[in-house]
Order: sequence, then structure tokens, then C-alpha cells
Amino acid sequence: MRVALFVTCLADHYFAEAAADTVRLLRHLGCEVAFPADQTCCGQPAYNAGRLGEARRMAEHTLGVFAGAVGEPGDPAASDAPAAPDGPAATDAVVLPSGSCATMVKKFYPRLLAGGRDTAPPTALADRTFDLAEFIVHRLGVTELGSGLAGRRVAVHQGCHALRELRLETEPAVLLEGAGAEVVPWEAQEECCGFGGLFSVKMTAVSAAMADRKLDTLPEVDWVVSGDGGCVLHLDGRNRARGTGVEFVHLATALWRGVAGDARAAEGSDVAAVRDAAEAARPLEAR
Amino acid sequence: MARVARATASRPGLPHPGALATPRSDNAVDAFVKRFTGSGGEVARADPELPPGEWLARFLRGLEPQVTGVALAPDVPPELRPRLQEAAGAHASAGISLAWGAAADTGSLVLPSTGTRAVQLLPPVHVVWLPAGRVFARLDDALLELGAGLPAAVGLHSGPSKSADIGRTVVTGVHGPGRCIAVLS
Amino acid sequence: MHTRIRDYPSRSSEIIRDDPGVRDAVTGATIAFDQKRLQGYAEVDADAWRRWAEGVKSHTLTHLDRYLAEAETQLEANGAEVHWAADAAEAREIVMSLAARHSVKSVVKGKSMVAEEIDLNPALEAAGIEVYETDLGEYILQLLEEEPSHILGPAIHKSLQQVQELFADRLGSEPGGDPDTLARAARRVLRDAFIQADMGITGGNFLVAETGTVALIENEGNIRLTTSLPRVHVAVVGIEKLLPRMADLSGFLQLTARAATGQPIGCFVSLVQGPASHPDDDGPEAVHVVLVDNGRTDVLAHEHAWEALRCLRCGACLNACPVYRQTGGHAYGYVYSGPIGSVLDPGLLGLHEAMPLPFASSLCGACEDACPVRIPIPEMLLEWRREAQEEGLTPWKERAALKGLASVATRPGLYRLAGRIGSRLGATGVARGLPMLGEWAADRALPQPSRRTFRELWRKGIE
Repeated sequence: MRVALFVTCLADHYFAEAAADTVRLLRHLGCEVAFPADQTCCGQPAYNAGRLGEARRMAEHTLGVFAGAVGEPGDPAASDAPAAPDGPAATDAVVLPSGSCATMVKKFYPRLLAGGRDTAPPTALADRTFDLAEFIVHRLGVTELGSGLAGRRVAVHQGCHALRELRLETEPAVLLEGAGAEVVPWEAQEECCGFGGLFSVKMTAVSAAMADRKLDTLPEVDWVVSGDGGCVLHLDGRNRARGTGVEFVHLATALWRGVAGDARAAEGSDVAAVRDAAEAARPLEAR
Repeated sequence: MARVARATASRPGLPHPGALATPRSDNAVDAFVKRFTGSGGEVARADPELPPGEWLARFLRGLEPQVTGVALAPDVPPELRPRLQEAAGAHASAGISLAWGAAADTGSLVLPSTGTRAVQLLPPVHVVWLPAGRVFARLDDALLELGAGLPAAVGLHSGPSKSADIGRTVVTGVHGPGRCIAVLS
Repeated sequence: MHTRIRDYPSRSSEIIRDDPGVRDAVTGATIAFDQKRLQGYAEVDADAWRRWAEGVKSHTLTHLDRYLAEAETQLEANGAEVHWAADAAEAREIVMSLAARHSVKSVVKGKSMVAEEIDLNPALEAAGIEVYETDLGEYILQLLEEEPSHILGPAIHKSLQQVQELFADRLGSEPGGDPDTLARAARRVLRDAFIQADMGITGGNFLVAETGTVALIENEGNIRLTTSLPRVHVAVVGIEKLLPRMADLSGFLQLTARAATGQPIGCFVSLVQGPASHPDDDGPEAVHVVLVDNGRTDVLAHEHAWEALRCLRCGACLNACPVYRQTGGHAYGYVYSGPIGSVLDPGLLGLHEAMPLPFASSLCGACEDACPVRIPIPEMLLEWRREAQEEGLTPWKERAALKGLASVATRPGLYRLAGRIGSRLGATGVARGLPMLGEWAADRALPQPSRRTFRELWRKGIE
């Protein structure tokens, strides 16, 4: 399976290790990973603000990048795949370590480009774009990731777009349990954290109160895991401002930690994987 | 109206989706009892061995707190009327009505306005004669049958008066009757 | 129409900061309502019901002129009078003239959002008419001189203790009385009001065109009393409340109750066709139906907003909304609050008047999943945001920032450069001084950018 990684701007700059863990995880699961270098922002900030002209320009740029490009010319590290001829067949799937940005590409691009709601036909890219958890469970058909997270108690924060637009209701928990973790029920698991991009900037008090509701109801866990970096930035920002002291981990990192933990147990020699997993598992603050 | 016509003219008319298919229970009486009691209503079954008026008088005498005066809807036929002290709706401790019918899927008694509304609403206890043959499987069926000769008003009573407006605690008998008893006969 | 919508950002902050009891009460009540709705939906084929209801309402709205004409004809045939009000002032004048015509001194009211919308109580009171709100929650708010904060549970933002203190002070009930005792105290006052009132004023959940039936749903019995005991009944009904046929009503009565409270149906439903005509009927001698437009035809004509007119006023979207839960309805500054308010108010009042409500949402989508008539609230919010941007109703800094983002994001080389600079800036804490991030950072620890961007890691090679 040849996969193009759409890293998303947030993961590129704030969750670089989680993005790297996405690559490690996908490779571990037998995928060749390409990173089209001209990728930028999916345009969701503009779309959510109602600036559809700007959003459309960014969408068109992204569609162009993922229609065929598989890597930066002259950059041998840009792709695992041989320099395939440009074209839609160059990769089988586009994977994002963000449910929200995946939703933008899968659900909102068609509406945006058709200039209307509801009835827009999917774009070619929509059909082969996946959120990471969606890709692993539904495209690769994998739910068992070893037992490297055995003994870990985790709570899952479900990003709203992944939950209600992509209907990924169980996938993150299934994968975490498939990596040995104990997923602890959380009263506010499906409630919005209050990020909402521009919303958290414009309605800052309400947004913070929504994060507080999440944090106040959190069960006793080792990690809070989410597949959406935006939610984590917001929740963890509030977490650290309040001193709630819980550790937030991106889903990709948590899953890779599970796999790498297994690798260590099995081979005892995968130094790089263990080092990366240890780095990834450090709290955001410490990095 | 002209403004509404202008506003609707701006888009094509959408079709009506037809009837909503909802299930019909096989045993409407049992389904009614389940739904009605589930909403806090009470069901009693009249003793066929006794004249209805006498059965009702005994039943009312057995209620706590003691029934001191009953308000009787004028459309309650003579054989169903208990021989008890009568009182106006506002002063009676129980009101006696005759249901036009009932709906099983919602657990509702169908009460037309021909039966005097004060009797249905003011006393703390409302006792409603319900002939078992008048229980419709669905509210929809009941409303359609009623539709031909609709009275000025119809009340659907599906349990006692209740509110959770204070401290999210459910209290009964807020304005209307705190007990609603269907008597199946 | 004077509203306080524009103050949403400051009022929401104040409520959260200064009155934490509101957040607790509203969160508790709405989550309880929402869970009951989920149970109520689970007992039926809710998806099919919701699609059906969406279809009936959309059909009705696209033929609204026809159904309004039919309803008027039927109501008149039933002996009711029909009045048309183009706006709030006309609606008030109609009710006031009816009060004068019927020599009304005392009015009992059933909970009606339209009556709130047209500001009816102050007009009645100014004319020396006694007005009693009879819904228990509305009665509490009337005593407090507050507005409803929720479509269904107008006083959900009040704690038991607040009601205890209020009733002890105003009704002489024993201090610390339980809800049962408090409800009995209100019942005593309101029972007298019912018996003495000359006029009952209600809203209407539905108006069935085929039969001229005003349908009203409730649990307390106060609406049954309001439509039955006084000499005159006035139903103030929005023109969007039409249903074509009696065969449509049962489904809507059930769906509304399930969406609102999870009940199979309200404890009491009143179906009002007209004034009492049977010799044994002790109902009102006159029934008036006031059909209120007040901005609804503007909404109906609007390309996107018209779907908001399907709304049943069940409150399910408020109950599901994590934004609403933090403040309750008062922060929104208008009678229709929460998700539905944020899409309906711009249509009713004009977008300029309703700013910034389209932005008072994280677009989480919980409202759309809850809505019994499948109003696509998140998409509609986006449409209002688009209009707000096109009309220049958003801050210029925000517009400039997003234009800048688009310029950078469509030039990969520039994007990579900006990313590197941005990371360095973030790392040095300069972001705290940036216009939008500054406020964000007041409540949150600023995120630390990764030491190296993913791009740098990729170039180095990921092992």
C-alpha cells in the first residue's frame, strides 16, 4: 500500500514527533509512505471563518498537490516509493493524523468546490483520503497492534469532526485496546473540547469553560489520547494553565508506543524505535 | 399572505413524504396500559359482576385521601354515575369523565370538550371511563377517526400533571390532576 | 427590536466568571434532558421519523401560502377569528384590541416563545391588565422579572435554593421547602388566577391546515386550563407552525416530545379548533388565532436560512450544545438562544443585528444530530459566517490574517519559510503579543512548537 502523508500544519509544527510516529506506524503496518513536499494548509481555518474564497484557493492547491505529487524533486528521502510517474495512481491513499483536517478534505472540499451544500458529489481525493484511525481500521483492516500499552489507563477525547462527520465512533478506542491499553469511560468523552479553531480565539471564555468541563470530568488515567492536534493544543493548554496535571498524547504516538513497546520486547534491539517512543511519550511541555 | 407567496415562490415545492409508518401493537389494550402506566397514569379494571356506577362508588370510596365530592361530566351516562356527593369541578376531590377513546402507542386518553373541561382539569384526581373496545393501536388512527366530527377542543391526557421546573425534581399535580386513573370496562 | 446579542462575548464571560451556579445548573439540566432524548429516540426508528418530519415541514414551508389560506378558512369555519400580524408591534396591537373588545382585566398565559418575541407582557401590564405566567418555570421568572433562558425549561438556570428563597419571600412558603411544597404554593396562587382570568393566551406548537387545529403540548396542565377556563382564548402562532393534515399531527406530537424530554407524548395535549359550541362545553366563548410573521417571510425567502423554519422549539439542540451549557440562554441576548437561535436570529432580525451569534459555535455538530427535523445547523452557521465576511461584519484583523494564510498556503516555498519563522517566534513567546493569540493565551498555556518541524524530521530521515 502506497500512502501519501498529509501531515497538516498543526502536526508539522506542534506535533512533529506524532507525525513521525504516524510514518513509523504506517511503515510498521506495511505501507510505503510518501510526503508530497508542496503540501500546506488544508484551508479549514478560512472555511470555518466563512472566507470561502481563500478556503477554495487552499483546497485547490491541496487537491493539486495530492493529485499526483509524491515528493520533492531531488530529495531522495521524500518518498519510500520509487519515483513513480506523477498522477493519481502514484499513491493508494492519503492519510492525515487529524480527524478534523481529514473531514475538511473528505466532506467539506466537495461542498466548497461545488459552491453549495449537501448534494455535492465527492471529489476523487475525498474517496481515498483517511483519518489515521479510519485508515488503519477500515482500509488496512488492522485492529491488533500488540500489547505494548498493557497496563496503561487512557481516556479518549473524540474530535467532533471525526466523531460526527466521519462517524468514527469506536475506532480510536478499538486501536488503543488493540495495543493493550485500558480505555477508561469518560463522561464527557464525546463532548466538544471547545477548540473550534477561530471559536477559541473569538469566544475565549466559553471555549475555556468547555475545556474545563472536559478536564473536570476526567477519570484517573495515565494519558488522554486524541487523534486531533487542535483539540490537544487547546485542552492541554488549559490543562497546564490550571495545573490539572494530566498528560496528553496524540493517538499516533500512543499507538506507536504500543507497537514499539512490543518491538522492544520481541527483539530487544530496536533502539531507535524505543528512543523515539520515549521522546514521543514525554509531555508536550517538556519537549 | 402575499409576502408569504412571494417568499415561497423563490424555490420549488418539495413533495409531502406521505404517512409515517409506525408499528401497530397486536394487543392495543395491553399496549395502552403499559404506556399509560409508564407515564405515571393508573389503570383500574371495572368488575363486570357489579353495576358500573356501584363499582365506581366503591372504587372512589377506597381512594386515599378520602373523596368528599365528585364532579361528573354531563356526558357520563346514568348507569356509570356513582351515587356520591356531587360537587363543582373547582371544589370536587375527584372528576369523572367518559373517554371518547384512547391511543395505545402514546398511552393517551382522548377527551372531547363535550365532557366539560373543568371536570377533566380541576379536581386533584381524574377518573376516566374507558370502554376497552375504544382503544386504538395508534394515536394517528384515533385522530383520523375523530377528525370527521372534531369538537371545539380535544384533550389528550397521558398521565398526571407534572413539572420538573424546580430543582429538576419531578412533582405531580402542579396545575392539572395529580392522579389520572383510566377505568377499563 | 432592541436586543443584547452584540454583547454575547462579554456577557458569556461575565456569566461564566461571576455566576458559576448558572453553568452548573444549566449543564446538569441539559445533560439530563439530552440523555432522555437519546432514550426517547432509541425506542423508535428515530432516523426514519426525523427524515419524515423534515420532509413534511419542508413540504409545508414550500407551500406555506396555500396552507395558511386553508388554515384560515378552516378556523373561521370552526368559529375562530384569524388575525394577521406583520411584525411584533402589530401582534401586540391585535392582542391589546382583543383585550379591550372582550373587557379583559386579567390574563393567564401558557408558555409561549412568540409572546416573548413580541414583548407582550409589558404591553398588557401597561394597560392595567393583570398577567399571570402559569408555566411553573415561567412563573418563577415572572416573579424575578427575568427572561426565559431555555425554550423548554425557562428557569433551568435557577437552583432549588433560589426558588426556595423566592417563594418564601413572595408567596410566604416555608423556608427550605421541598419542590413539592413549592409547587403547591404556586398552584394555590395560579389556581385562583385561572378561575378569575378573562383571557387565556398561549402559543401553538402546530396549526393543522386541514382542520384548523391549534395543537399545544405540555406536562403541567396549565395550557389545558388556559385554553379552557377563561372566556377568551388567544393563540399567538408563528406562520411557520403549519402542518398540512391531521394525519401529520400524531407523528409530530410524538417526535416533539421525544426530542424535548424523551417522553412518548406530553402529559397533556390540547387540540383547539374553535370556541365552545356544544351546550355542555364550558370552554371559551371566543377563540382568536394571531398569525405572526415578524421576520419569518424574510427567513423563508432566504436562500439558506429558510430551513430554520422547520424548528419545532423542542430545545433538543440547546440540550446537546456544549456552548449553550456554559452560559444558558441569557448570554445570547434574544429569546431564541443556543444553536437554533444562532441560525434563526440572523434571519429574523437581520445579520447585522445578530452578530456575532453565527460565530458562537465550535461547529461540533451535536445539535444537528439531536434535531428532530434535521436542520443542518453547522452548515447554516457557516453560510451566515460567509455572509458576515462578505458584508464586512467581522474584524479586519481576522480577515487580513485569513487572507494572509491563503496567500502563504498557496505558495509552498513561502509556506515552509513562514513555518520556520513561526516556530521560532512561538518558541520565544512572542506569540503572546500577537493580536489574536494574546487573548487565547490569557486562559491557556501557550503551546510549545516542536523542536524540529516534521518537515525537518522527514528530511533528516525517520527511523
